Amino acid sequence: MQRPHHEPAFDDEPRRGRVSHEDMLRVALFAGMADAAGTRQAEIRWRGGSVADLRAALEAAYPAIGGLLARSAVAIGNRYAADEAEVPATADVAIIPPVSGG
Amino acid sequence: MRRPVDPQRLLAAVADHEAGANVLFVGTARAVTNGRPAVALEFEAHEPMAGPELERLCRVAVEKFGLVACAVEHRLGRVPVGEASVAIAASAPHRREAFAAAEWLMERIKREVPIWKCEERPDGRRDWIHPGGGAPQQEAAARGPRAGGRPRGRRR
Repeated sequence: MQRPHHEPAFDDEPRRGRVSHEDMLRVALFAGMADAAGTRQAEIRWRGGSVADLRAALEAAYPAIGGLLARSAVAIGNRYAADEAEVPATADVAIIPPVSGG
Repeated sequence: MRRPVDPQRLLAAVADHEAGANVLFVGTARAVTNGRPAVALEFEAHEPMAGPELERLCRVAVEKFGLVACAVEHRLGRVPVGEASVAIAASAPHRREAFAAAEWLMERIKREVPIWKCEERPDGRRDWIHPGGGAPQQEAAARGPRAGGRPRGRRR
């Protein structure tokens, strides 16, 4: 279920009317990443794409998380997802930065 | 788990007539880490993943080390210096396996479970700890956590 690489993660074409609620992908942020982004829930305009596309879109929207994001895992539906995995607009997405429990 | 860790309850949870060895590890909030002082630690988790992952690690430990039982508890929220942040209880027929399992579990928890520590400085500053700085966490990303469960596990 991989998307061809030439397809954009999100389009920049003019949209008719307002951006609808369904176009927004909510992404849970934690710890230092939430601090850097200034929110625990990032919102990205999303029309499908891969985890790698999502990383790029997140970094563009929240430049301050870039360094940590590169070292983080991405979870979809509470499972770790590879960069090639598809991210549906309805996905339950969380960014998991390097952990430090104990 | 917002309430304090109760080590005795964990020990009781793994007690069994088949077990001749009961190892309890309690990790407490330390006042100084790498020369930097802290008055408290604060822990945050992605709970829908952290709970099942702790349970999965318990199950793996039971199989891997031939334990009778295993239980883990990690506290979330603010933990003042000196108080317990994590506890592991492992019971086995003999002590070697129980000690090894507790050490193995602690190592895995620190590396893999989506829990994060924030060190609160005496001046009120707060520093989230994200180890590394070089390579991404490929080990964690390569595995997949299992679904279901709560942030505490006991497995036979």
